[in-house]
Amino acid sequence: MKFNTPAELESHTKKLVDSLDPNKPVIILCGGTGCVASKCHDLIDAFKEELASQGLEDKVSIRITGCHGFCEKGPLVVIHPEKVFYPMAKPKDVPRMVTETVLGKKVIDELLYIDPGTGEKVIHEYDVPFYKKQDRVIFADNGEIDPRSIDDYITLEGYSSLVKAFDMSSEEIIEEVTKSGLKGRGGAGFPTGVKWGFARKAEGEQKYLICNADEGDPGAYMDRSVLEGNPHSVIEGMIIGAYAIGASQGIAYVRSEYPLAVDNLDIAIKQARESGFLGENILGSGFDFDLKIYKGAGAFVCGEETALIASIEGRPGEPQQRPPFPAESGLWGCPTNINNVETWSNIPHIIKKGADWYADIGTNDSKGSKIFSLVGKITNVGLVEVPIGTTLRTVIYDIGGGIPDGKKFKAVQTGGPSGGCIPEEHLDTPIDYKDLTALGSIMGSGGLIVMDEDTCMVDVAKYFIGFTLDESCGKCTSCREGNARMLEILEDITCGKGTIESLDLLEELSQYVKDSSLCGLGKTAPNPVLTTLMYFRHEYEAHIRDHACPAKVCKDLIWFEIDAEKCTGCTACARKCPVDAITGEKKEAHVVNQDVCTRCGTCYQVCKFDSVQVKTGGDN
Amino acid sequence: MSEKVGAVMVVGAGISGIQSALDLADSGFKVYLVDSKPSIGGLMSQLDKTFPTNDCSMCIEAPKMVDAGRHQNIELLTYSELVSVEGEDGNFHAKILKKPRSVDIDKCTGCGLCTENCPIMLKIQIPEKPPAPEVRDRELIDGFISEHADLPNPLIQILLDVSGKYSYLPRDVLEYLAFRLEIPFSNIYRIATFYKSFSLEKRGDYHVKVCLGTACHVRGGSRVLDKVRTVADIYGGDTFSIETVNCLGACALGPIIVVNEEVHGHVTIDGVDKVMNELGASKAEGGEEE
Ligand SMILES: Cc1cc2nc3c(=O)[nH]c(=O)nc-3n(C[C@H](O)[C@H](O)[C@H](O)COP(=O)(O)O)c2cc1C
Ligand code: FES
Repeated sequence: MKFNTPAELESHTKKLVDSLDPNKPVIILCGGTGCVASKCHDLIDAFKEELASQGLEDKVSIRITGCHGFCEKGPLVVIHPEKVFYPMAKPKDVPRMVTETVLGKKVIDELLYIDPGTGEKVIHEYDVPFYKKQDRVIFADNGEIDPRSIDDYITLEGYSSLVKAFDMSSEEIIEEVTKSGLKGRGGAGFPTGVKWGFARKAEGEQKYLICNADEGDPGAYMDRSVLEGNPHSVIEGMIIGAYAIGASQGIAYVRSEYPLAVDNLDIAIKQARESGFLGENILGSGFDFDLKIYKGAGAFVCGEETALIASIEGRPGEPQQRPPFPAESGLWGCPTNINNVETWSNIPHIIKKGADWYADIGTNDSKGSKIFSLVGKITNVGLVEVPIGTTLRTVIYDIGGGIPDGKKFKAVQTGGPSGGCIPEEHLDTPIDYKDLTALGSIMGSGGLIVMDEDTCMVDVAKYFIGFTLDESCGKCTSCREGNARMLEILEDITCGKGTIESLDLLEELSQYVKDSSLCGLGKTAPNPVLTTLMYFRHEYEAHIRDHACPAKVCKDLIWFEIDAEKCTGCTACARKCPVDAITGEKKEAHVVNQDVCTRCGTCYQVCKFDSVQVKTGGDN
Repeated sequence: MSEKVGAVMVVGAGISGIQSALDLADSGFKVYLVDSKPSIGGLMSQLDKTFPTNDCSMCIEAPKMVDAGRHQNIELLTYSELVSVEGEDGNFHAKILKKPRSVDIDKCTGCGLCTENCPIMLKIQIPEKPPAPEVRDRELIDGFISEHADLPNPLIQILLDVSGKYSYLPRDVLEYLAFRLEIPFSNIYRIATFYKSFSLEKRGDYHVKVCLGTACHVRGGSRVLDKVRTVADIYGGDTFSIETVNCLGACALGPIIVVNEEVHGHVTIDGVDKVMNELGASKAEGGEEE
């Protein structure tokens, strides 16, 4: 249905809201990537079959939503209207869920979520501590709407911000966004309103708008979940932005590694076009704007705006000197405004509820809330949305549930390959652009990777330098060669060949790479090395002086030994060893032949009696 | 000093090729300097000035060209194409095609008179457009091309489609694209090797993606990769192909491997062994039945 005027949209919204039956049972199933990996499609099929076999298709609806954020416990089932929450649901329990909970309105006790903190069972999704302690704005609707249904979005007052925006002048919109204090969520944290102002003032017939969905930060997936779960919010934000800036063409640059995001966005764009939100004379306002998807081909550096533009123009994704900034001369030489997915999806909320409401959330100089991807050695892996300024400790312990298996916290890495590792003593730091920078890390796009005592910090530094080296486009010598030399030094250290002097060299090299690289990739690449050197220098020194890897990770510095007292001679390790390094008679203690052993760790994993032990320098 | 043995082939006689040849020749190696053009010199000989000193290019290059041409240890193979190289470090066999020059180079002084007076040169020659190269699924590829006709430079999007269809970029398709889009093959090659989504090699029956995103890394992803490599080597050939990726958005399940789109979460080293050996064995059995 095409809406030609705001009034038509309003009456349609009203009709949708009125036709909602608050008592109709809805089975909500998470269809986000995490749950798909936990085989939620088997569950969806099971529900469909069960409803069909009971003849309930008309009485009960199934809604497949995007990511709810609690990926650790996927696949997730929430049964409305009561919002009964069943985590890690299995197809075999589906008939009971339908008969007992959907029809019988009874809660099945043994399928409920158990709060590990209190040991108590939690019935409703909103009472689960993981959700309860979050403050969701952008992510609020993800668990409610089917991303492939524009009506679901309209029911929740979707596109009403657009109507409101059309009543404002472009200066007013830009003023509102500036006043809200929204900063770009793509990493650099540049004030969005100011950026729009530049693009507005730039001269040019044709202006472009780009949505940066090239989320390359390994271990972060919030942009993906927003696009997969609520694509219309991004589209609405972009239309408002286009109207404010005066752009007529938009491009969503999405990683091709995110097929579900591409599909859902594609469907959403088509629906928006059919409904008259995209195309000519949008809602009778006389404003034209259309949106196209452009798939990225897998290069981290293409997240950088000038490289992204180069890639859309069909060239290799190499960054360019700025100025000129894209706002003056971007795509095909036209003024171009680039914002991140999350930035765009903030816009409808700001317009709807006003800049003052938005500016109330967050800290003095950073406003709003931010989605973080809380991953690594943490109990509740998932996506977390909290006001900026929440402390790391709250996120990791109250929401994330702390470190699993009784291990000790060691560090949290923020900001992806451009960020740094923050140790325990700084856990009470508020997550804020300024405070994280003061610790040598950055806010970045919102990855929070938690590390426990089993993580080797030298190895982590080596991992990130390896990553940036691999992803460096090779244009700047300092980035291409500097990172390669740093990797060599780190490799030497992790295999016990490092020298104490090389630590100074690492610091010196880091400074060169930072100072003389063109784009943000090289300028920030040494951060993981610098922060680990700053906070975990003793680990580097242990590798060098004692040939010891305290976390027992670095292959060349560890060896496996079998504790003869504990070994029962079950032969499991000997059978599994890929290089036949383990010998021993049945029911007698086994021995590892160190000359043959490749330190693959298989024996350590298969031993049920804890008799295989990892040793490192200094142990005997 | 150790005695120099063997000969070195330098391919491409631009300034860097010439300098390398001279350095090698000076240190006592026999050097074959190969170039497809009739003369050595390459691009630099066409430039007016050089960066950053604004020196005259030819003033720098010409003496080196003369040195290379006269050096006892350098044999020039101009107007020649390298056809193939076989062998291993220390023992290569190169096949070089010398194109007919129809001029006795020992006698030619390079005075240029013949080119000035050759009557054929004065005729305008319109090159014939060569026929389209052979390609598999031609209609499909044409479809990909027309689908992105609205983009000024659609190459990357077309390559993504091709890669989606074959899971790699077959050479014949790339050659066909170069012909249809009228861009040099080397440009396509540059794009195809710059972006991570593209592979020039065919995938195995089982394509194993190992996640090396940070979340999977701290949970032991690189050890899983080592194991995947070891098992793949056992089966060899085209049974398994391996790709590493950075975050699949399922970090809760890390470390993760994906085998032919099926996700295996929380994999252990032993688990890799099981999954892959089952597949490898079933393939081997399938082969015997046929
Ligand atoms: C190496 C590098 C990678 C980047 N990757 C991303 C990315 O994956 N997603 C993103 O939105 N911004 C990324 N950026 C930031 C963009 O250059 C740009 O600042 C951002 O898209 C602007 O949008 P914002 O103002 O809404 O943050 C990256 C920057 C650099 C230097
Ligand atoms: S890091 Fe492996 S799935 Fe995210």
